[in-house]
Amino acid sequence: MAGFEFSDRPLDTAALRASLEDRASGGYASFEGWVRDHNDGRAVERLEYEAYAELAIKEGERIIGEAVRRFGVRRARCAHRVGPLALGELAVWVGVSSAHRGEAFAACRYIIDEVKHRVPIWKKEHYADGDSGWVNCERCAAALDDAGHAHGHGANPAGAAHPAGLPQPDYSRQVVLPEVGQAGQARLRAAKVLVVGAGGLGVPVLTYLAGAGIGTLGVVDADLLEPSNLHRQILYALADVGRPKALLAAERLRALNPEVDVRAYVERADAASLQVLADGYDVLVDCSDNFTTRFAVNDAAVRLGKPAVLASVYQYEGQLQVVRPGGPCLRCVWPDATRDGLVGNCAEAGVLGPVPGVLGSLQALEVLKLVLAVATPAEHGVVLVDLGTLEMRHIKARRAPQCAGRSCARLPPAVAVDREELELPATALASAVADGFTVIDVRDARERAERPAPCPHRHIPLDRLVDDPRQLDASGRYLVLCARGQRSSAAAEALRRAGIRGAWSLRGGLAAVGADLAPA
Amino acid sequence: MSTIEVQYYAVLREQAGLSQERVVTAAATAAALYEELRARHGLTLGPAQLRVAIDGEFADWQAPLADGAKVVFIPPVAGG
Repeated sequence: MAGFEFSDRPLDTAALRASLEDRASGGYASFEGWVRDHNDGRAVERLEYEAYAELAIKEGERIIGEAVRRFGVRRARCAHRVGPLALGELAVWVGVSSAHRGEAFAACRYIIDEVKHRVPIWKKEHYADGDSGWVNCERCAAALDDAGHAHGHGANPAGAAHPAGLPQPDYSRQVVLPEVGQAGQARLRAAKVLVVGAGGLGVPVLTYLAGAGIGTLGVVDADLLEPSNLHRQILYALADVGRPKALLAAERLRALNPEVDVRAYVERADAASLQVLADGYDVLVDCSDNFTTRFAVNDAAVRLGKPAVLASVYQYEGQLQVVRPGGPCLRCVWPDATRDGLVGNCAEAGVLGPVPGVLGSLQALEVLKLVLAVATPAEHGVVLVDLGTLEMRHIKARRAPQCAGRSCARLPPAVAVDREELELPATALASAVADGFTVIDVRDARERAERPAPCPHRHIPLDRLVDDPRQLDASGRYLVLCARGQRSSAAAEALRRAGIRGAWSLRGGLAAVGADLAPA
Repeated sequence: MSTIEVQYYAVLREQAGLSQERVVTAAATAAALYEELRARHGLTLGPAQLRVAIDGEFADWQAPLADGAKVVFIPPVAGG
């Protein structure tokens, strides 16, 4: 079954849907894109789609594969029309089947967003006034729009689909530094950085990282732009008010540097979403305005063994901390969950615009140092920045004595993607193992010989485990696995009933664990 | 009695109305010093919500204070 395909005939949604049917799936989510009768204030009568098929199919397949791996869904598929289409016709279809609805919705959304951004498809709109115009794929359109063309997609003449008229990005001013050079520039291009928050701190972080040629930039922010943001969030304009900041930032960053793969996530980052999202990135940057998110970013980084750059501001001051695997983390500095509401954020306490500008610039600098492997004292504690007195003070922190290896003894239990459920997604296996879960394999001897569990584990046959759950320590954390996730789910349920609250089942079993996801 | 250089950050600086001061005190620990200053300046945050650093390093509240120590009281900061 093709994951991504083009069709010059109407799409058969019943057949497409049927191809995703699957006994292990408990839900199915679908998106349909239709031809509408207007675009940018102009009446549209019909349109044509054209694709660079060879490249487009490859990119489309890649997106489907990413969605399956990232969200742990069972099956996913996308079909796109090419050729002439009438109003109301189905232009693009996405379908996902999955054990649980949350991942199905998320993967469906991911696929359509990424297809719109990344797959080279062009649309020629025929307007009611007899005029027509090519509308390029969103990514190129954003670059062109923001490069000073009249706003509106129809303004780009036929054939100008790619930003061919733009000069190439030029990194010479940083490449000349001995710490960068061509090798360093290649490291920057290969780096994937996830920025949580596209506000006062996030704007300078994102802008400098895009300018530096960081290869992949993720930006997570659920907020819509407000006029009160603009004194410090200088990537945006008054005319943008009301639009999602993640999308606005992505648009501006693509215009700034079309070489950067910018991925926008219009969602609130929390412990559960970060657990999944952070997996695809090398460095996490916290630019949020609250402790709950800051701890969630810290915890995701510690669990996944990735570095994180944290900062926050208050009026004329800021704090900066670089968390490295095995070093002191946010919980070493603030051991008891620090509560929001205790101290003010920008909205309550007030802040001058350049203050987050300075702290965000420091964060961008620390990310570049991390990627370029330049030593920094910020990884051994907290840097207090007082912009009233222009003083910087470095406070050394030590790891909490209970912490060992790369983990942190103060981490809260890993969050299940769906709290109501007993399951962890297959993608969480490696992090659960790293996080100290005891993996219990309940399969029989033949199954185990055919496919050994890909990580250290205990073998307890299902019946023995269910008969006597007390053989396990009630305060332990256990991840039960089997071939397809059904027996392990029953086992986890029995363990929970027996009072073992830290019992989980690996969703979809070993069948859902791809070779590339297996822990080393 | 010992002389301590005290520095305040964020909401503490605001409430104390100054960013640093030299304090002559009988307090033997960071906790005792903070209670003394908390009463003097009407600071609202309790020590459980703060961190203290002595001579450039995060320290325990029960850490002893030497004459001439530089003490920084650091509240958590949230804005972004």
